[in-house]
Order: sequence, then C-alpha cells, then structure tokens
Amino acid sequence: MKKRWRTAARHMVLAVLAMIWLLPILWLFVTSLSAYKGINTMHFFPVKWSLDNYMQLFFRPDTVANFPAWFRNSMLIGVFSCLISTAFVLMVAYAMSCMRFPARKPLMSFAIILGMFPGVLSMIAIYFVMKLLGLTNSLTGLVIIYSAGSGLGYLICKGFFDTIPVSLRESARLEGASELMIFTRIVIPLSRPIIVYTVINSFLAPWMDFVMAKLMIRSKNPADWTVAMGLFNLVQRTLVGNYFSVFCAGGVMVAIPISILFVIMQKFYVEGITGGAVKG
Amino acid sequence: MKTELMKTRRRSDPDETGEKVSFRKAVKDGDFWTRASLVVMGAGYFGRGQHIKGILMTVIEAGFFLFTGCFSLPYIRKLPTLGTVQRKEILDLTTLQKTVNQYDNSLMILLAGVIGLLFLAAFAALYISNMKAVYRLQRQKESGGHINSFREDCRELINGRFYVTLLTLPGLGVLLINIIPILFMICIAFTNYDMDHQPPSFLFTWVGLENFRTLFTTSTTVTFGYVFVRILIWTLVWALTATATTYFGGIMLARFINNRQTRWKKMWRTLFVITIAIPQFVTLLLVGKMFGDYGIVNSICSKIGLTGLLQDLGLVSRGLSYIPFLTKPGWAHVMIILINIWVGVPYQMLIATGILLNIPEDQLESARIDGASEFQIFWRITMPYMLFVTGPSLITSLIANINNFNVIYLLTSDYVTANMNYASSNAKEVDLLVTWLFTLTNDYSNYKMASVIGICVFLICAVLTLISFSRMVAGNREEEFQ
Amino acid sequence: MRKKIMSLLLAAAMGASLLAGCGSQGLPAPEGTAAEGTGGSEAGPEEKEVSAEDGAKESGTQAGAGGAIDNLIAATDGPVDLVLWCAETEQYQTVMKQIVDRFQAAYPDVEFHITIGAESEANCKDDVLADVEAAADVFVFPDDQLVDLVNAGALQRIDATFTYDPAQTNSASTVEAASVDGTLYAYPLTASNGYFLFYDKNSLTEEDVASWDNLLKACEEQGKTVGMEVSGAWYLYGFFAGAGLEMYRKDDGSNFCNWNATDTTYKGADVAEAVSQICKSPAMVNCVNEDAQAFALNGEMIADVNGTWATTAFQEAYGDGYAAAKLPTFTVNGEQVQMGSFAGYKFVGVNAYSKNTGWAMLLAEFITNEESQEAIGVATGEGPANLKAAASEEIASAPALAALSEQSEYADIQRVGDNYWSPAATLGEILVEGNYTDVQAVLDDAVEGITQAAGGN
Repeated sequence: MKKRWRTAARHMVLAVLAMIWLLPILWLFVTSLSAYKGINTMHFFPVKWSLDNYMQLFFRPDTVANFPAWFRNSMLIGVFSCLISTAFVLMVAYAMSCMRFPARKPLMSFAIILGMFPGVLSMIAIYFVMKLLGLTNSLTGLVIIYSAGSGLGYLICKGFFDTIPVSLRESARLEGASELMIFTRIVIPLSRPIIVYTVINSFLAPWMDFVMAKLMIRSKNPADWTVAMGLFNLVQRTLVGNYFSVFCAGGVMVAIPISILFVIMQKFYVEGITGGAVKG
Repeated sequence: MKTELMKTRRRSDPDETGEKVSFRKAVKDGDFWTRASLVVMGAGYFGRGQHIKGILMTVIEAGFFLFTGCFSLPYIRKLPTLGTVQRKEILDLTTLQKTVNQYDNSLMILLAGVIGLLFLAAFAALYISNMKAVYRLQRQKESGGHINSFREDCRELINGRFYVTLLTLPGLGVLLINIIPILFMICIAFTNYDMDHQPPSFLFTWVGLENFRTLFTTSTTVTFGYVFVRILIWTLVWALTATATTYFGGIMLARFINNRQTRWKKMWRTLFVITIAIPQFVTLLLVGKMFGDYGIVNSICSKIGLTGLLQDLGLVSRGLSYIPFLTKPGWAHVMIILINIWVGVPYQMLIATGILLNIPEDQLESARIDGASEFQIFWRITMPYMLFVTGPSLITSLIANINNFNVIYLLTSDYVTANMNYASSNAKEVDLLVTWLFTLTNDYSNYKMASVIGICVFLICAVLTLISFSRMVAGNREEEFQ
Repeated sequence: MRKKIMSLLLAAAMGASLLAGCGSQGLPAPEGTAAEGTGGSEAGPEEKEVSAEDGAKESGTQAGAGGAIDNLIAATDGPVDLVLWCAETEQYQTVMKQIVDRFQAAYPDVEFHITIGAESEANCKDDVLADVEAAADVFVFPDDQLVDLVNAGALQRIDATFTYDPAQTNSASTVEAASVDGTLYAYPLTASNGYFLFYDKNSLTEEDVASWDNLLKACEEQGKTVGMEVSGAWYLYGFFAGAGLEMYRKDDGSNFCNWNATDTTYKGADVAEAVSQICKSPAMVNCVNEDAQAFALNGEMIADVNGTWATTAFQEAYGDGYAAAKLPTFTVNGEQVQMGSFAGYKFVGVNAYSKNTGWAMLLAEFITNEESQEAIGVATGEGPANLKAAASEEIASAPALAALSEQSEYADIQRVGDNYWSPAATLGEILVEGNYTDVQAVLDDAVEGITQAAGGN
C-alpha cells in the first residue's frame, strides 16, 4: 500500500515537472491561435481563436514576413551546412582518433585553444573576410560560416571512434585495406549514432542563429532571410504589437519538423552523445 | 600543451641514414637540382624525375608570389601605420559626378595584412620543408633508394598520410572562419578603433597597451575597471551555477524517469525533449515576454495576490505594481538561472539517461546486497561514475556558459540598470562579458574595448582549461578502451 | 658561399619580376576605387575642387538645376542600380513603391533598378555603420541617428539641391535639425517623430489632460491608468527641458547638462522630486510602447505619452473616444510647468559611398518633395516636414498631428551625445523606483555620466 502511494507521488511529481516544462510551449501554441496580433498580457488563453496567423504565415507574405521563403532558405542552408559539417567532423575525428602522426597532439591542443575565443567578437571580422571573398549576402556565405569551422567540434565524435576496437582496423590493414577503405567501409558504418548526433546538431545550428545571419545577410528583402532572422525581426519593438502571434505560429511551424526529427532519432542521439562522452 | 608544440617544432626529421637534415645542410651539401630549388621550388623534383610534383610545387610558389605581389604586399607595407590617407570626396555640382581620392581603409589594411603575413609564414615554412624534402630526395637518389612515382605519392595520401588528406579541407575552413578573424580581433585590441575612428571614412592606428590600461583604471568618469570586475564576478558565478544546476538537474530527472517504479518512461522523456526542439531564441523570447513587467505571469501574480504578498515581505519595492522578474538586479539574476535550468535540463537529461543506462549493473547490485541505501549508492557509485565519464564535457559546458550569449541577451533586453557606474560603461548588472562586448560593438562601435574584453574572456577560459582540462587534451585515456 | 648568394639573388629577382608582371593586370588595388562616379572623368582632384566651389558660389544652395541633371542624364549609360531602405510597415512600403514608380516616370530616358528594402528605422544606424559600403544608397532614418552617421562619414553632404530647396519649403527648425554645423546632411521627410499624449475623451476631459495632477487624479478615481516610459531617456528629457534645464551635445561629442543645477529657476532636484511624485501615483505606469498598446486595448490605460507610430493602435483601442493633446503640465514647487519634449524628425539620407551619388541624391529629393511628402503623410499618418504638405486639410486635421504641432512650441531639436542615453535611462529608473535618499547626489551622478568625455570609454 505504501509503495503504491510512493509510485503515485512519483508520477505526480513528474506530471508537475512536465507541466512546468510544457506550459510555455502550450502558451506558444495557444497564442499562435489567437485572433489578437499583439502580446496577450491578461489571459493565458486567447479571447478569440483563429487560424489566421497560420494563413498569414503561409499564404500572405508581406513586407516583413515571408515564411515560405525563410523556411526554404533555412532548409537549404541547414542541409548543405550539415552535409559539409558532418563530413568535416568525421574526417577530423578519424584523423585524430585512428591515426598517429607527429602534429596530432599539438593540433588537438590548438583546436581547444581556438574554441575558447568568444565567437561574438570575431563576427565582424568574419563578415569582412567573407566580404573579401564576395560571399556576403548569399546563402553560400552562410553555409560556409556554419560549416567551415565545424572541424573544431570533433571531440565527441573522436570519443566515439575511440571506442571502436582497434583490432577491427588492424585486421583490415593486414588484409591490405587502405586507410581510406578502413574509414569508409569499417569505421563509418559502425558510427551511425554519432553521425545522427552530428547531423542533427549541425542541421539545427542555422535554425537557431540570428546574430550572425543578421550581420551577413544585408538584404532588406524578407525573401532573402532565414527563419531565425525573420522571426527575431518580428518581435522587435516596432513590429511586436502586430506580429507577436504570427511569431508564435512561426515558432510552432519550426518546432514541428524538429520535434519529429528528435523523437525519431532520440535513440541514436543519446547513443551518439553518450558513446562520445564516455571517452570524451 | 605548449611544450609539446615546441618539441615537435624543434625536432627535425631524420633522413634515411639517421642523419639530421636541416635547411642549412640542404643548401650546403645540395647538388645543382637541390640548390635550384631555392629559386624554383619544383626543381629538385624535376631533377629526380618527379615531374608532376615539381610542377605542383612551382605552381604553388608562383601562386604565392602572385598573391603577395598583387594583393597583400601593399597592405603589409601599410601595416605599421594602418594607413595615412583619409578619404576625401568631391561632388561636382554641375555634372553630379563624384571624385574620391585614393584613400586608405585601416580595417582592410589590417585584415589583408594579417592574411598576407599568415600566408607569408605558411610559405616560409613550406619553403624550408621543401628544401629539406628535396635534399632528402637527393640523398635517396645517391644511395640508390627507391623514388616514389606520382601515383605512389597519391596512394600514400589515402594510406599512411591519409591524415593530410583528411585534415586539409577542415583545416582551411578553420583558418578562414576561426584563425584569421581571431588574429584580426586580437590586433584590434591594440588600436584605437572606436566610434570616432570608423573606417572606411576615418583611419585608426596602433595605440599599444592603452586600452588595457583603460580597462584596469577606474576614475570618476571612466568606470570600465569598476564594471569589468563586477561583470567578471557575475560571469563566473553564472557559469558555475548554470553548469552545476543543469548538470545535477539533468541527472536527477534522468534518474527519476529511469526509476523502476516509473511507468511510461518514454512518454515522460519525450515530453521534456520537445522543449529542445523549439529553437532556443523562440523559447527564450517567449519566456522573456511571459515574465515581462506587464507580462502574463505578472497579471496572474497580481490577480492571486502574490505581488502584494511579496511587497509585504519586502521582496518587491513598494513603488512597483509588478514583480520585476527580469528588470531588477537580484530578481533578474535568479530568474535567469531558473530559466536556464528550464532550457538546459532536458538536454542534460538526455545525456545522463544514456550514461546511467551504461552503469555496470553488478556494482549497483552488490552495493544493494551490502545494505547501502539508495542515497549512498547515488553518491558512492553513480555520481563518481557520472563525473568520470562527463568530466571533460562539464568543462566544455562551463566555457560554453561563460560565452552564453543567447540566454542573457534575449532575456534582458528590457533591463535598465539603476547603477550609474554601469550606465556610464554601457553595461548592466546582468550582462556577461560577452553580452557586454556585443553591446559595445553593436550599439557603440567600440571595437577596441570589446577586443580587450574578448582577450580577457579568452584568458579566463584558458586558465580554467589548463587547470582541469589537460587530462583530456593529453588524451591519456584514449588507448585504454581500444 | 658565392653560389648561395647567387641563388638568393635569383630568387629575389624572380619574385620581383612576378610582382612587376602582375601590376598591370588591374587586380584590385587596396586603396579602394579611384573614381566612383559613373562617367569618371580624368580630371585631378584639385581641378574638381575648384569647379565644385564655383558651382556652390553661383547657385547658393539650389544649384543651376536643369543643367546638372541634364549632364547627369547624358553621362549615364546603362541601368542605374539604387537601393532604398525605409520602414517595414505595409503602408510605408506601398507608398514608397508608388513614389519610386513616379520617380522613374519622371526620368524616362534612364533605366532604373530600384530595390526597396524593409528596414526598421530604429536599427538604421547600426546597419549602415556595420558596413557603409554595403548599405543602401538612400535610407530613411530618425533624427537621433544623424550625428553618429555624420561622424562616421556615412552621409553625403547636401551642398546643393536640384529640384527644390529644402530650406524654403520646410520649417527652419526642421532644416536646422537636419544640419550639423550649418551643413545640411539629410533631406527632411517628416516632422512628427516626437511625442505627445494620447487619451480617451470618453473618460477624460480636456481639462483633465492639461496637467499631470488632474490626469492622475481622474485616472485614480476611475481605477484606470496613464502610461509613459519615464525610464526611457528620450521621454524623461521632457520633464527637465520643460523646467528650463539644459542638456545638449557639445562640439566634441560630449554633452552639456545642468540637470543638477541649484541656481536655476527650478532646481534640478525639485524637478526630479516632481517626476518621482508623479510616478508614485498608483495610476502611473512606467511602460514601453508595446505594453502601453496592450493596456490600452484592454481598456485599462486611458492615456499614454507616445508617438505617431502608435496611432493605429490607440485609434483601435479608444474608438470614437480617440483624441490627442500636447503634453500636460506638471507641478514643481507648487507651480505648473509645461513639459518639454524632443521634436522628432525623419530624414532621408544619401550614402556617401553610393555608386550613383547623383541619382541617389535626386531620388532622395524626389521622395522628400511636397507631393511625395503629402502622399506619405496621408498613407502613414505622419506629419510632413514640408510646410505646404503639412497644411493640407487631410493631414492637418488628424488629432495626433494637431497635438504635435501644439507641442512643437515646447519641443527641442534632438542634439544628444551618445553618453546621454544609458545614464539618463538609469536616472529615470531611479526616479521611478523612488528609493533614493539624496536626490541631489543621484542627479550629480547622472550628470557626471551624461557629461563624461566622448570616447572616454
């Protein structure tokens, strides 16, 4: 009897916690269904319900909101930068984990030192570097920014590779396989969790970043913006009164695909990160 | 870490006979082809029949000279002054055409100069190692050793020297996005690049350590030093609390969900994971609005009388009709940490779940048989294991929190400081070093001070890492499990 | 040894020949482009300078109009690319599109590619200064950004105009606001960027809104509220300026401020006490624009100090009770003092780094001519800077603009150094909180912060 009580209490606590965690999300959702465009400060639930925000989001792009275009841009950037980032991370992790060469440890130390410099500061410099290359104001430029430096984030992946038994590679080597073949035929097929982890992380980065994107995309035509930039712009002082519920609708629309991705990939994601963290 | 770096630099590669090859020796003992490589870098390879490699080397050399000569040399020349000719424009009012003089742009000079010097250094290193390689080739030829064909060299690139193939592109990317910008920003700290010296219209120049001096002096009007110390303390407090709370919160939650008595484990986990899926800036802006001075939470609090109660307790000033969740020091500090727990715990929970499932069950069992309580098991077995496994990533997230821009920036946009010293330095009590330097660059174009602060952040992180991170850098454990 | 030197020399020689070889290939020179004008003539800078001075002398501000434009059209071959940034609201974008279309129709011989970008005016300065060369050719910005833009060299000086004379068609204060040290740097567009009082005339009488005392009393009685962003440096200025205290930007970029003065008609400390007293009223709400709009729509807030950008929201909130008035008077030492304010303007600026300076100037002129200003005024509810356009019936009858012109008598041109904003906002915050012990000390601190040397940080 006592045990049953404790079980019930346990679930009660979990339910309360889940409610705390989900309340803001619920508010995001119900506000996206509000007929009032500004911030509702008096009632949790909208006074008048409407699907108009979603209609506006998808079918009535105006001078500040062009969600379909934002979504397309972010999707393009996300896909390409995640392809490049994943390749880079795997390549660096393989070199650092499975190969031995004189500069290895100095390079690893150097990578860590580089990672400690505050990124906010070098933004303006990155902007001018990209300007030298003529890549500002373009999706290509953003793809490069999000993916070029990704090699530095190889540590978790390297940790994962470290757990792959060295004997596997040794025997392949004895049979005459080149390093390239070991990399592509043995190590990569064994690393599905860490690949999923890397893919998700690098796909999401462009959806979250508004500071860099705002600096890089100088165009004032909403069709050239990314989701993060556009949504952030909607809650600026001058617009928030007329676009807050549209912003919420946008938030919901971004969250749906990502949530699905997460729920499906959850298992791999956890395996990836823990596999990597075990040996970090 | 540094000593390792030095060691590898100093160690020159022994050649076939075990003799050391140095640049000097290569020049002294080289034959015609080897010495010709001093001028045409590919010559040494041509002489030994490695034609493709020879061509490649020569092309690289020519490319470098072209790049330096046409692009970076004029900039490098101007580096010492960062430019002397200010922009002047004249608009001809009769034709409406504009003439602009040949002006210097300090920013481009610095940036292109840094890039040029970097290339110069890289080329010098390549030049020296090329001489050594060519000399080694000569020795090989003399002793009748085998000389690789181009095809064999290529094979080597996917085999023994596969790491070169793997690291080249990512390395170039890091050079472009990380190294060049960082070097550039470090240089800015020693210039007077601020609101009154904005390129391209105006020039800035070197000022030495002036900006560092400004940071560490406090006078009646210059309050940078005063503010810096306080913001630094809050940054450290924030980083420690934020890391610790989300870390332990995540473990607690994971344990709670993983407990045998909990049913529908997967559902609970998914409920929490949903919060990760919404972009952080959306949730943060949203929560920021909810806890605003006149936001929904405040309306509810004043309806149920909480605001009045807090006023009676003296926690909320009498003059306010709302609870200043994110707008007064103290309140805002606590709220930011609480909201960060909300943001960070689900993520840590995911990680902890995976690790907890990996704990060797037999250890737990034997502890139970010995009569250890759940509490003891947690502190004696689970926590040490968790700390062992996640130690390094804990430091990473500590550094990530020192540089946590989003949480602070998005939550405190409405915060107005009531402390004049902060106000005079364009800072707020809740600023971290990074958000402060963002305000300085973005709103006040004060790049020089922002760079100085950036370097300080870097130094702090470096010290933290050196204290506790070296274990991981050394990679002591990487062979253990293989 | 000799051989070694020889080979080194050879290396150097080769490097030099490579340098020489590529010098003539027209690769980008680091000094920036020499001539940015379209038909860049070969004349040296000195020669140009002379001709420019001549031009200015013979024409005063309005240059020998037709000739210059004809010359420009003749020198233009190929399409002209221009980028125009203006506010992101639907009304602004639509009316700008129409104006740009008319501009193109006015010069049928030239092919234009004009892009209109949506740019929040508040962020205009930050976006332009982040990279001037990549900013729009023509942009609309509020007056508080003028000095910073000029200091960064981002604005094209307007030495002459070609289709109309801004000094003749706009009020003197408007032109003064658009000038720095007597030089015009931007074309005045609107003169309604200041603040005044919105109120609901169904709940408040004209007598109520005449003074803070009456206003707060009336609101307290009805259980309603009044809004004003007292902790906003821009609004706070109104109290001190109204009482005759001064704060303005000096030539070196720092501020003059005597808000802590004890020898003026109204002592700074007394004004601060008065502000604090107003904030102590339960009816007084210190809140930003977005919150005020929400409160007004809820029916809670029946008056608010705000600007024309909030017109639509307040019209919706108050319905037929919608009204506007000049700012109320407030009590200092038992005397009624009229609140001052910042007069706000919007300007059209031409980027000094524009590739098509001539056309950019003409476009900016076109956007700010009488006809365009009137169209913008009608479309957006903002008050034109052009006197005739402002007098047109449709515009002059709007309550918000009437209130603004009533307030304009007490409004000052905004000439503020950067160091004003943070300390003044903090002063406002302290006064709202009302927890201070020595008001004079608070003011002294604030003044010290406001007047600190520019670039001292």
